[in-house]
Amino acid sequence: MAINELSLLVLVPFIVALLNIFLPVILRKFLSVAAVVYLIILNYQLFINVAPDAYLFDVAIFSVDKLSLFILAFIQILSIIILVFSLKGVNTDIQKSFFVLYPMTVAFCNGAVISVHVIGFLIFWGLSGIALYFFNLLGTSKSTPDTAKKTFIIVGGSDVFLILGFVLIWFLMPQSNWSLWNLKLGLSGELAYIAFFALLIAAFAKGGGFPLHSWVPDYSKDAPVESVAFLPASLDKLLGIYLFARIVLSVFTVNIGIHLFLITIGTLTIIFAVMMAMIQHNGRKLLGYHAVSQVGYMILGIGSGSVIAIIGGLFHLINNTIYKSNLFLSLGSVEKQTGTNNLEELGGLGNKMPLTFLFALIAALSISGIPPFNGFYSKWMIYQGILDIAKTASPGYQIWLLVCLVLAVFGSALTLASFMKFIHAVFLGRRPKILDNVHEAPSNQWLATGILALICILFGLFAIEIPLKRFILPIMSEYGLEVPAVLGYYNPLLLVALFGSVLLIGLVVYWGTRKVRFDEIYLGGMDALEHFRVMGTEFYNEIRNMKPLKGLYDGAEKKYFDIYDVSSKCSFSITRFFKAVHNGQLQLYNLWIVLGVLILLWVVL
Amino acid sequence: MIAWILFHLFVFPGMLFTGILGLFVGWYDRKLSARVQFRKGPPLFQNFNDFFKLLGKETIIVKEAVKSVFIIAPLAAFAILTLISTIIGLALFYQRGFGGDIFVVMYLTMTFSVMVILGGSATGNVYSSIGAGREMKLLLADELAFILVLLVPVIKSGYQLQFDQILAVQQTSGPFIGSASGIIAFIIGMLCIQAKMTLAPFNIPEAETEIVEGPFMEYSGPLLAFWKLNHYMMYVIFPFLLILLFWGGFQFQGIGILWAVLKYVLIVTVMIIIKNTNPRIRIDTALNFFWRYASPVAFIGVILAVLGV
Repeated sequence: MAINELSLLVLVPFIVALLNIFLPVILRKFLSVAAVVYLIILNYQLFINVAPDAYLFDVAIFSVDKLSLFILAFIQILSIIILVFSLKGVNTDIQKSFFVLYPMTVAFCNGAVISVHVIGFLIFWGLSGIALYFFNLLGTSKSTPDTAKKTFIIVGGSDVFLILGFVLIWFLMPQSNWSLWNLKLGLSGELAYIAFFALLIAAFAKGGGFPLHSWVPDYSKDAPVESVAFLPASLDKLLGIYLFARIVLSVFTVNIGIHLFLITIGTLTIIFAVMMAMIQHNGRKLLGYHAVSQVGYMILGIGSGSVIAIIGGLFHLINNTIYKSNLFLSLGSVEKQTGTNNLEELGGLGNKMPLTFLFALIAALSISGIPPFNGFYSKWMIYQGILDIAKTASPGYQIWLLVCLVLAVFGSALTLASFMKFIHAVFLGRRPKILDNVHEAPSNQWLATGILALICILFGLFAIEIPLKRFILPIMSEYGLEVPAVLGYYNPLLLVALFGSVLLIGLVVYWGTRKVRFDEIYLGGMDALEHFRVMGTEFYNEIRNMKPLKGLYDGAEKKYFDIYDVSSKCSFSITRFFKAVHNGQLQLYNLWIVLGVLILLWVVL
Repeated sequence: MIAWILFHLFVFPGMLFTGILGLFVGWYDRKLSARVQFRKGPPLFQNFNDFFKLLGKETIIVKEAVKSVFIIAPLAAFAILTLISTIIGLALFYQRGFGGDIFVVMYLTMTFSVMVILGGSATGNVYSSIGAGREMKLLLADELAFILVLLVPVIKSGYQLQFDQILAVQQTSGPFIGSASGIIAFIIGMLCIQAKMTLAPFNIPEAETEIVEGPFMEYSGPLLAFWKLNHYMMYVIFPFLLILLFWGGFQFQGIGILWAVLKYVLIVTVMIIIKNTNPRIRIDTALNFFWRYASPVAFIGVILAVLGV
């Protein structure tokens, strides 16, 4: 009996993971690479010929449509790139477990994306959450156990909502037969809304949407850096937004109120997370907050209901996975060479690690939406979409949309701000003396970041030709959504060609006239002591200390906006109350019994 | 076709036109400032002399600097400004959409600041780094208001994003500056470009008397010449942008020519007078000013535009 091709997407990496438990490290690496390469080939074949659905007990369990094929393709692409990075440099203590967990996670994520049956989806979704937890435990910092617990509670806890949502959907539409796809359930009645929001919570918890984002920055700080690039920056984003896109596009038909709600939540996510990112002193936490902030653009785009913005949102999803994993990996390289990820202790590494610097700079410019990189293109499409809805909306609705649009555009200026800080603090500025002996990262590491940077450029220049036409537009036509004409106009290739020719002239003028002399830093006659070093982390202190923002920042630092912390404090205060009540005195217990009886009597009578 | 594009890029309205006009306006700035201060001021071609003199001077590069970034930053900034001037100029003089829409230009102007910051922080000089940080903060300060300002003509033209179409709407139904929302946005826009050009009172990143030209402190020779040229080119780009978006562009028939020159000179003169009559403010004051006052006012402009006023 031939094995179904779709099941191979799950079985192959899973079996490799099981085999890896018994193999020496070098073979584990080899087998993992072989498995992921095989998956890429398999995925490519799936693009060409449609695979038959996989059945178990006569129920369809695996199936692919254009949306899941798109997500699958990028799961495999990112898996191979991050795996290349991990081949050399993973902490030797955790190497063994790392190469077991890695293929296993790929298997679970593939499984979740191709599952068409609710039970299968739940199982793979939950398992990928557990993989996340185990990856987190491989971290070495002191706060690792707490973070792992937090991650598990938020991501695992959201599975409850997932189950609730699915049950309610079945309740509303028994003929769906526990299948997930193409239900087009109308949002009418409370149950439908509860189901919608339950699924939304699960998607946001996985993808890192506000207010369920708080595990992402903590995970970023404490887990091994490869796993940060692998999960919260790439695969979990893909899964979370995949579920989100499914909910909005095919499970429910969403009304205008929900669109507005999603646009608002998206904007809040962008602004809130990026404001937090700006003031971080730890490089990984800074990037972690950006991993949240970028989700805002996806929610904004996919949730807005405009087809252009939906395309932009899906495009932004893959763009984000590419540049965000690039940034995490670049910082990982720096961290492995210098032994720290604290922005205050770094600086001036642009000379010592030129390749890493170049690739990180490209990713930083992409994420800030600088043309002609990929981040700009997807943001540009999202803005076009929002304006497209605003065009025909009533004045009040229009103003609301414009406020969200302005904040989203401004969010990218804030993103730029925090990445200028990041680039300054790590690669530019003055290098501290202790970092004089730092070297470039090993070749597998800069190869991985280099490929990601190259994709950033290619997807920016050939946005229509590669990602849109090959992957995203087919999804739209499958859902029967017609793509309207764009309002604006943007021709990246032309702009780059012209930019390049002027730059060339500038370089020729400089080259022809230059008379170069090298000298020390000039400080008006003073010695340029290391004491005068500007670290870059203090750039935004004025903003941190501005009047209404200061209160918010103080609150955020005390974790008042962290849903995990707030709810754990609430539950602890309740248990504290019960502890105080149970003090072991017989009289008091008697009182409770009497009170209880009275309450019972009151209820019954 | 390619020849025409290259002509537009390199000659008119791109590199040469913007550069030469910019240097002349730079002279006007210096002359007017001198007259305000009861000085005589430089001769007409002084900026050209300065530029070519700087090209012949020595380039001193800090030993420990990230040299590639240090060298490419001013040249890339020059290329970006040329690109913006070509996009705006083609819409203004030829009524042609080219290269990108209003979002593209908005982000390209942001990219100019990125180059200033990268170039400044590549040296490791403490003043340059402080200046780079301030440049970023100033960008944050004015960007919010600037986005709101740019939205007003978009809304008023019925959600057109391309410059030529925004201009076309104005030519049929009158310039936007004639409406309440248009005039509000125009005034806030003037303040924003004052900050984007880092003219006093927003010359905080350079702050000659405090942090010695900030990001440009370590620059010398041809590279400094390019930074100077960039600065003067902005004297062309930003007033043109405002004229394009709010003041109905230029008409080159009969009296229209005089009117076109007057519009431009008026904007530049106001900028120079503001520059000469205001002391430098602190960065937190600038943030406060733009976030607390300018942006809400610009937002009122947006609301009025939506309501059609």
